[in-house]
Amino acid sequence: MELFSTESKKIINDPINVNNPISLQVLGICSALAVTIRLDQAIIMTLAVLFVLTSSNVILSLIRNYIPARVRIVIMLSVIASLVSVVDELLKAYLYDMSKQLSVFVGLIITNCIIMGRAEAFALKNGPSKAFLDGVGNSMGYGLIIIIVSFFRELFGAGTITLPDGGAGYVLWSIPDSWYAAGYENIGLLVLSPGAFIILGLVIWFQREMAGVEEDA
Amino acid sequence: MYSNNYTLGFVFIVTIILGTMLSFTKENVKDLQDQNLKADVQKTILRSLNFDENLLLTNESIEQTFKNYIDAKCVDVQGQIVECNIEEVDIEKNKDVLPVYMRVSNEKIEGIALPIAGKGLWSTIFGYIALNPDTESVLGIQFYKHGETPGLGGEVEKKWFTDNFVNHPQKQSNGELKYIPKKIRDKNGKIVSITVIKGGVDYSDSNNASIHQVDGISGATVTADGVTDFLLEDLLRYEKTLNKIRDYGTI
Repeated sequence: MELFSTESKKIINDPINVNNPISLQVLGICSALAVTIRLDQAIIMTLAVLFVLTSSNVILSLIRNYIPARVRIVIMLSVIASLVSVVDELLKAYLYDMSKQLSVFVGLIITNCIIMGRAEAFALKNGPSKAFLDGVGNSMGYGLIIIIVSFFRELFGAGTITLPDGGAGYVLWSIPDSWYAAGYENIGLLVLSPGAFIILGLVIWFQREMAGVEEDA
Repeated sequence: MYSNNYTLGFVFIVTIILGTMLSFTKENVKDLQDQNLKADVQKTILRSLNFDENLLLTNESIEQTFKNYIDAKCVDVQGQIVECNIEEVDIEKNKDVLPVYMRVSNEKIEGIALPIAGKGLWSTIFGYIALNPDTESVLGIQFYKHGETPGLGGEVEKKWFTDNFVNHPQKQSNGELKYIPKKIRDKNGKIVSITVIKGGVDYSDSNNASIHQVDGISGATVTADGVTDFLLEDLLRYEKTLNKIRDYGTI
């Protein structure tokens, strides 16, 4: 299979667009709500999910013909859990401040339905290269949504745009003091979980509208 | 259908491989993680003592600053210096050996940082409170480890909350507001600590205690009550030591 054939493009594009794991399948929204307070957290979380999802897809796809069906869920879970633990340990060593902010949500990648879902629905039925592309596509679909949500939450909730760096985050832009002096106020609600629901709801609406999805009544 | 033996064997092998991978990773990054943890605690102490953020950017500069300016000692409840390995003192469990970190410049104490720890809602919260040499007014407070809900109880570590402890609006005679630190002693010198109240502090003239109160966190009353409780408890344990520093300028 060629990397840039129509089929592989479809495997990558589908989950980003018409079959997005968050906005269409509504999977993995627990972490989508939790880590979208700041843009830099969402970016690091996306990278963590990218690593876990593609690796677990490839590993499980490689051993798919040897896994006894009775224990496949256990095997999937142990592979995913081990990969997540590796990510957690690496973050603690190399991005300490970020790992403190993401706290339990890195560990909770284990329970992210997207990863188990892709393993069960795709990796166990397809070869490693397709599984790899599927992993990239789905984590990008996940990442796209949480990056959009976190961008708006941080901008309107806290008045900043923060990019990840080695430490506590690099503030790219923040709302100038003169705006506040002129009466501008941050929307505190957006920092709280209900704010995430509202933004996520709007993003889902917009994304479904763009992708032309219609639901059966 | 695979046989039971095959299934067991397969699971066994997968477990061994994954276990090896995990312990290999942990073994390789453990030193770095320990350094990060140590630097994080030192950074918290230095921050509470109001050091310039530029000195706290990297693990190396934190360690250097700590070495240059901090005099760390252990005391007991009576205020007597005791021997200890200060990094190993368990501040949550050990109530007899009390670490004290002093910011010293030209042999003069410029600030005293004391570890504080206690239960919030979900977890034990760890932090440091720093006092000025008058042992009355707060120099800073910082929390570095907790498992409280992000956005609610987790706000204790945020700047807006910790800033409450050093920004008490005091009306001047000309009507202007001047910001002074909160105080942990009342007018008679008794340690009353600082109370995290529910809602915002009432700054009207009728509320005499406002200098000992800070704004609470909405949605995190249990966490805030926890902070109030362990702050008082821990400060009282240091009472004799603090009195000594106030009266003699040293311990």
